[in-house]
Amino acid sequence: MTPVIELAGVSKAFGPVKVLTGVDFALYPGEVHALMGENGAGKSTMIRIASGDHRADEGEIRLDGEARRFRGPREAQEEGIAVVHQELLLFPSLSVAENIFLGHQPKTRRGFVDWGRMRREARELLDRLDCPQLDVDQRVAKLSVADRQRVEIARALSRKARVLIMDEPTAALAEADVQRLLDVIRRLREDGVAIVYVSHRMNEIFAIADRITVLRDGTSTGTYPVSEVTESSLVSMMVGRDIHQLFPKIEVERGKTRLEVRNLSRTGLVEDISFDLHAGEILGIAGLVGSGRTELAQTIFGVTPATSGEIKVDGSPRKIASVRDAIANGIAYVPEDRGLHGLVRPQPLRENVTMAILDRMTKFSVIDTGREQRMAKEAIDRFAIRARDARQRVGQLSGGNQQKVVLAKWLATDPKVLILDEPTRGIDIGAKTEIHRLMGELARKGIAILMISSELPEVLGMSDRILVMKEGRLSAVIDRKDATPDKVGAAMMRTRPEPAAAGAVR
Amino acid sequence: MAAVTRILIRHETILGILFVIALFVMAAQSDRFFTTANLLNQARLMTEVGLIAIPMTFVIITGGIDLSVGSIMGLCAILVGVFWQNVGLPLSAAIGLSLVAGTLAGFANGIIITRFRVPPLIATLATLALYRGLAEGISQARSVRGYPDWFAQLGQGEIAGIPTQLWLFALVAIAGIFILRATTFGRTTYAIGNNEAAAEFSGLPVERTKLLIYTASGFISALAAIVFVSRVSTTRSDMGNGIELEVITAVVLGGTSIFGGRGMVIGTLIGLCLMQILQNGLSLSGVRGDGTTVVIGAILIVAVLISNILGRFAND
Repeated sequence: MTPVIELAGVSKAFGPVKVLTGVDFALYPGEVHALMGENGAGKSTMIRIASGDHRADEGEIRLDGEARRFRGPREAQEEGIAVVHQELLLFPSLSVAENIFLGHQPKTRRGFVDWGRMRREARELLDRLDCPQLDVDQRVAKLSVADRQRVEIARALSRKARVLIMDEPTAALAEADVQRLLDVIRRLREDGVAIVYVSHRMNEIFAIADRITVLRDGTSTGTYPVSEVTESSLVSMMVGRDIHQLFPKIEVERGKTRLEVRNLSRTGLVEDISFDLHAGEILGIAGLVGSGRTELAQTIFGVTPATSGEIKVDGSPRKIASVRDAIANGIAYVPEDRGLHGLVRPQPLRENVTMAILDRMTKFSVIDTGREQRMAKEAIDRFAIRARDARQRVGQLSGGNQQKVVLAKWLATDPKVLILDEPTRGIDIGAKTEIHRLMGELARKGIAILMISSELPEVLGMSDRILVMKEGRLSAVIDRKDATPDKVGAAMMRTRPEPAAAGAVR
Repeated sequence: MAAVTRILIRHETILGILFVIALFVMAAQSDRFFTTANLLNQARLMTEVGLIAIPMTFVIITGGIDLSVGSIMGLCAILVGVFWQNVGLPLSAAIGLSLVAGTLAGFANGIIITRFRVPPLIATLATLALYRGLAEGISQARSVRGYPDWFAQLGQGEIAGIPTQLWLFALVAIAGIFILRATTFGRTTYAIGNNEAAAEFSGLPVERTKLLIYTASGFISALAAIVFVSRVSTTRSDMGNGIELEVITAVVLGGTSIFGGRGMVIGTLIGLCLMQILQNGLSLSGVRGDGTTVVIGAILIVAVLISNILGRFAND
């Protein structure tokens, strides 16, 4: 049998960054092919190349055995390749039927939209997806996430899709909806549709996939039938390298308790979190996207103040109802999204560096710009920020240097507890190592560090202990000496968290 | 600040050049234009718009807008007359109460915008109608006249050869320049306009700052109403009708970005002067009022276009 679509030796680079190197991938009709890999391993880029969004630098794409070049996503769609994106790309104020047939509505002979046929065909497609209760005239805005996803799949089928690429389709679904989705996928498979299934959830992969391809750092570690792999072999294929060598971990004596979190909850975001954080300790938080890691950090930092529970800093209970409270109590937060929450990019470096301590920079509420300038200069020297001068706009700096500015800004508050949310996301290796080195230095000075990261090697390499989160709760706490990729990975993806684990935190 | 300042200075340079050209052209058109008496009189006429333009610069830098300033002005003008003539309070008390009312009107705008998260455009569009309606309801279409001489000093008199209200305007403008440039309040204003979420994540008092700015806008609008009443010695409920558009034009012409984050009080002052001499000069040389409006519209578009093009060069 010839594969319906095949990537052969595909490479892709964005500027100097190589995202994919010589990847082979073959998809046969009537199979569910799982695509796995860490964040940044190259999954999205691969999907985009297959669906005509990006063009490969090297290698070729074969459709039914013949080499093809897509000039754009439209051509790929015409060949029957459809993508169901993670963030569903529907038009909320249009009806279900309109969304399904957007761009290729059935027309009457006089060129008007044939509403009757459109509604009828939409109905047939939805029945095929086993959702007879879904009204084709309903506005999409009123549908649940699961129903929207069905509309998106129906839209793909309406274009006679032979290849259906699903990018983390279950990320936002409840368990019952996941089962229904898997049923739909099985039915499509029987109809001969070839399905690429991207997911982090092990149980789904084993429930639905026929074959599995694992990507790591832009290369394929191979394609295996599902019968030949186990959960732990998949995790180590995804993570791969010997982690402890990569990270310059400094051994620091664990000091007194800096931060105590007890039964912390924020309705709908995090539930019943308890842990201690000590001076000189780096506590890693692992978990899938959406597991409540960032939400936990922002609850401690007062962005979304806790609805119940207690936070103690240096042994005494503190009320943290706002960011100002958090800063006043020595808590600093380097956010996940630098551009959105970390920096005011159009403003100069020096104004960003002092932004969190502006109150302390004044005489009668007039800003001491001389002191500000000196502080910014010191920050540039201390963190080796590559900037023209302290007046350069932060938006003009590279990602790594911007991140150093955010770090400088928060270290200026003289924090006792430093929360780092994805501290090295989207920055180059050099800057990454510098930030890791800096973290060690800060720990040695007695700062307690809470580090959130999606990169398992980073969590394993930098942390003294690891909190694993799942669905807004703590699912496990693992000591450095016991931490293996398999163990952490398993705790991240476990279907049911073990209730005993949360108790063993202290 | 280097890059940003450079653009602004350039925008102001352009504006300054336009201003000088306009001065020469107008002077050549009419020999009544370039006289001390005429220029001082023009300064007197632009004071009300100018006063309101100072807090409006802050409002627009935060990325907001305040459309209700003209209505607040009308409401406060009416209140002065009603408190003084109908209620029988001393005029100074009437003025004080009217200032309080304007401040409260601005405060209400601020509360609607910060607490209830209504977009400023919608919130102040609603209060534009609301405050104007109140003014008309209170006035019952009657005007109040016969203000005492000492009150007329503010709008018609002079101190040291300069119109009285111009001193007041200078005071407000200098305060505006100082607060925006030198204080944490000004810094917070820019940060809100450039990235409100990041300002919030930095622990800056975002809500309080916005609330204060809209409140100040109400207060200054009331102050402008007092100056206006004093200048024309009468109160009517349609006072300040449409003044918000003149104010916003001056601010935007002065280089403040309507998207927020960028702008300076100095720019607003130049924009204001440019508008005023165009109006005056054109009408002196016999151009009708609607012709003047066309010219001001054209100047606005040209100035903003040039600044956009320069801005694109400065952004890498």
